[in-house]
Amino acid sequence: MTLNSGMPLAIELALFALAVAVLLKGIIGRAGQDPRATESAESVGRAQRGSGSGTGWMTLFGLLAVFVLTFFAEEGTSILRGSFVQDGLALFAKRLFLASAAISVLGSLTMRQYAFSRRSAEYHFAIVVSVLGMSILASARELVLLFLAFELMSIPLFLMTGFLKREAVASEAALKFFLVGTASSAVIVYGMSFIYGATGSTALEAIPAGLADGNPLVQLGMVLLLAGLGFKIAAFPFHMWAPDTYEAASTPFVAWLSVAPKAAGFVALIRLYVQGMGDSMLAWIPALAALAGITIITGNLMAIPQRNIKRLLAYSGIAHIGYMLIGLAAFSSSGIAMLLFYLVAYMFGNMGAFLVIETVSRSEQSDGIDAYKGLAQRSPLLALSMLVFLLSLGGIPFVAGFWAKLFVFWAAIERGLYGLVFLGAVLTVVALYYYLVVAQRMYIDAPERQEPVRIPGLLATAIAICMLGVVGMGVYPAPWVEMAQRVAATLFV
Amino acid sequence: MPILTLSWTVPLIGALLLLLVGNADGRRDNLVRWIALGVSLLTGVVTLILWAAFDGASADFQFVERHEWIPAFGIEYFVGVDGISLLLVVLTGFLTPIALLSSWGSVKKKVKEFSIFILALEAAMVGVFISLDLFLFYMFWDAMLIPMYFLIGIWGYDRRVYAAIKFMLYTMAGSVLMLVAILGLAYLHNVSTGSYSFDIEKLSTLEIGPQTQMWFFLAFTLAFAIKVPLFPFHTWLPDAHVQAPTAGSVILAGVLLKMGTYGLLRFSFPLFPIAATYFAPALALLAVIGIVYGALVAMVQPDMKKLVAYSSVSHLGFVVLGICAMNAQGVQGAVYQMLAHGVSTGGLFLIVGMLSDRRHTRLISAFGGLKAPMPRLTAAFLIITLASIGLPGLNGFVGEFLIMVGAFRWYPQMVVVAGLGVILSAVYMLWMFQRVFFGDVVHEENAGLADLQPREWAAVLPLLAAALVMGIFPTLFLRPTEASVNRLVQRVQVSQTLRAGNVDVP
Repeated sequence: MTLNSGMPLAIELALFALAVAVLLKGIIGRAGQDPRATESAESVGRAQRGSGSGTGWMTLFGLLAVFVLTFFAEEGTSILRGSFVQDGLALFAKRLFLASAAISVLGSLTMRQYAFSRRSAEYHFAIVVSVLGMSILASARELVLLFLAFELMSIPLFLMTGFLKREAVASEAALKFFLVGTASSAVIVYGMSFIYGATGSTALEAIPAGLADGNPLVQLGMVLLLAGLGFKIAAFPFHMWAPDTYEAASTPFVAWLSVAPKAAGFVALIRLYVQGMGDSMLAWIPALAALAGITIITGNLMAIPQRNIKRLLAYSGIAHIGYMLIGLAAFSSSGIAMLLFYLVAYMFGNMGAFLVIETVSRSEQSDGIDAYKGLAQRSPLLALSMLVFLLSLGGIPFVAGFWAKLFVFWAAIERGLYGLVFLGAVLTVVALYYYLVVAQRMYIDAPERQEPVRIPGLLATAIAICMLGVVGMGVYPAPWVEMAQRVAATLFV
Repeated sequence: MPILTLSWTVPLIGALLLLLVGNADGRRDNLVRWIALGVSLLTGVVTLILWAAFDGASADFQFVERHEWIPAFGIEYFVGVDGISLLLVVLTGFLTPIALLSSWGSVKKKVKEFSIFILALEAAMVGVFISLDLFLFYMFWDAMLIPMYFLIGIWGYDRRVYAAIKFMLYTMAGSVLMLVAILGLAYLHNVSTGSYSFDIEKLSTLEIGPQTQMWFFLAFTLAFAIKVPLFPFHTWLPDAHVQAPTAGSVILAGVLLKMGTYGLLRFSFPLFPIAATYFAPALALLAVIGIVYGALVAMVQPDMKKLVAYSSVSHLGFVVLGICAMNAQGVQGAVYQMLAHGVSTGGLFLIVGMLSDRRHTRLISAFGGLKAPMPRLTAAFLIITLASIGLPGLNGFVGEFLIMVGAFRWYPQMVVVAGLGVILSAVYMLWMFQRVFFGDVVHEENAGLADLQPREWAAVLPLLAAALVMGIFPTLFLRPTEASVNRLVQRVQVSQTLRAGNVDVP
């Protein structure tokens, strides 16, 4: 059974309905409480029993239901004169957004801070709206729709970064993120205006024609768009917001923030530069390759001195964006396929690592890497999962990240980008070094305390899912590769 | 029966089983030790079955298993052994139980993790030797680093973290370059045949231009040279060896270093014969420098473990020299020397470890006159020392002799210098032996040292027996390798003459 072709918007409509339902449930749940209730233990407890976890579960099951719905969506439909398409790439991206959001919600269900129980509906509403924005973005093939979707995705993210509004660092991080984010949006719109001015159309199909005419304004527009999107995916030199934001925001949210919006940025890049530009993209390969190389170098080198694990992963995440850009720079069906594969591997590995961080930081009240001292003795399984996630990020065989790195290298070799592959390969050794520093804390150093780290069941479930993904993709990557190749092949017809 | 798959999955499954044993308070340490020993003995039995069922007359890969893994990229699960890899698999199966026995009394903390890492390491090592798919080989090659990193880092001596990270980064730096070369090779295969493949048989028939061969050869050989370690890439080895626990040193010296020489033999030379011809004299020169340099540095070491570590640099120089000769004697000698070195250096590290467990020092000057309190240990150490020197009738002689015969045809001057290394090895080994065991007991605490314990006997005796058997019946070990070595040598030589005829080697 497939949804009939009149309903390509079914996924977005379902998400919208979910957002409204979550919001309504929050309002109704809140109505029963004393609005002036203070932070007494009783009210916290009631809030958790009531709307707090209620909206969380609702969001979780709603997201899962929409995830299932994507498998009934008909591939290859489009509406609004081709502005909104439901192709393989769109569906792939939507599944990624929904899956990562579900894992993040699962991880945040047991959050104990007062704000999360009291304002749980706001939190989950923001997540669902942001997923809705991403979902539209994945299908957008028109500049204005693309921009609107970007904003719909980003604004809830600013809000969630500053969710713990009483904490100064959270407000500071939200403000930074907001300023950088809106500045990049402005750059994007500015770029789009050049393209529209030069071609007289906001459809992506107009870009190749404009480029073929040799109109410098279109070129300029595309450069500005690249810069704006560079901000969104935190590529060099637009990466500065990431470490501060990651450090201050709540960890399960960061797990998602580090994956889904970046994936959305890459989908936009693929739409604009691969589908939009066609073969005129070939001239851009050196520029993209240079961007990838510099991003890899910066991310990896900046990660070395970090003593806060969230900052460390933020910088390592920047390096990973660089590796993904290699796939884009290869500008080939296999390059895009490998970029998509990389995104999935990165989702499992990175989200898993952040969920372990959440577990440890709840028990130790610290995000320093010294909090991981002797973790292997205190909680062997937790340490083992962290090790596997780090090895996956580091690209060691038999876990997902190895294949991800390998495949983007492969695509780049086919394109003849030997220097870039060489650079990327050498810097994996640097990356391994700082991942090993964490491994050393967990396995070699003696623990400061003996009692095991308390692992809430729901977090353990979320970590187990990521672990399954990382090891499963590592041992038998063939089905994922085939899926990614199938999606990418449709972009190059 | 998929016996080759068993040979690496048995230790892996054993490691996973151990993960399930609850041993948080250390009360089940002995159970864990017995399980690990049982699993490693079972693996040893599997490798012996391999040896027994192996047809030495055939040069083909045997017990071959082949399944698609990632069809889109031509990556396969493709394993098999010939005479060269068979004996290295047997060596792995032989040394792992000994390593576990050697740590029975000395590893007291985190016994469970220790056993898991040793078994995981064994699985990866066996995997390296049986892989016939270049990519599968690389995966095992890299995966092996993780358990070794932890073995050195957790159970090592004072500067263990430094040594572990140095080991890891050195080896990784070499292997990522090899990975790029592997991808390049598969890409070339795609260009010429239209499909990807990592099958080393197919890749060795690929026509590669001399210039490209040079680059690939260098990338592969660098990774292997670091592992061997060939002078001047050896600086990680003394640190890793000295800091590693006894079991780690035994496995590191016994098996891990052989991966480098095995890689040269299996990949660098057959895949890039033209480049190999071009670079062989340079490699041989580095090998000879390593032989003499390693021996000279070993002579002045105050620390027994460091002495043995540098002696490895020297002995493995011989192996590389034999490989560079690329004739039947040289290569057979090299394969034989790999086994012999595994047995004798494993034994040396084992006994040095026993002394260090008793006295908590490895300095030669802290000992002296040990033959009075511990005559049995002295006898065992003497046999192993003589084996390491290359006394005829023990295992060290045959390999070095064959290597020198083989290399003499190409590099007579170098062989003369290498011969100097044999003499030097007698000097540093016997001198150490004299200072440690002969003379009077100068330190009082040495007078009451216990002799070999039953468990230590169990670890030492197999090594002594192997040293004797290998020395007296060398054909037992040479015959299975003969056909495979001849085929390899012929192949390399044929493609060298074929291709050298119509291209200019720069």
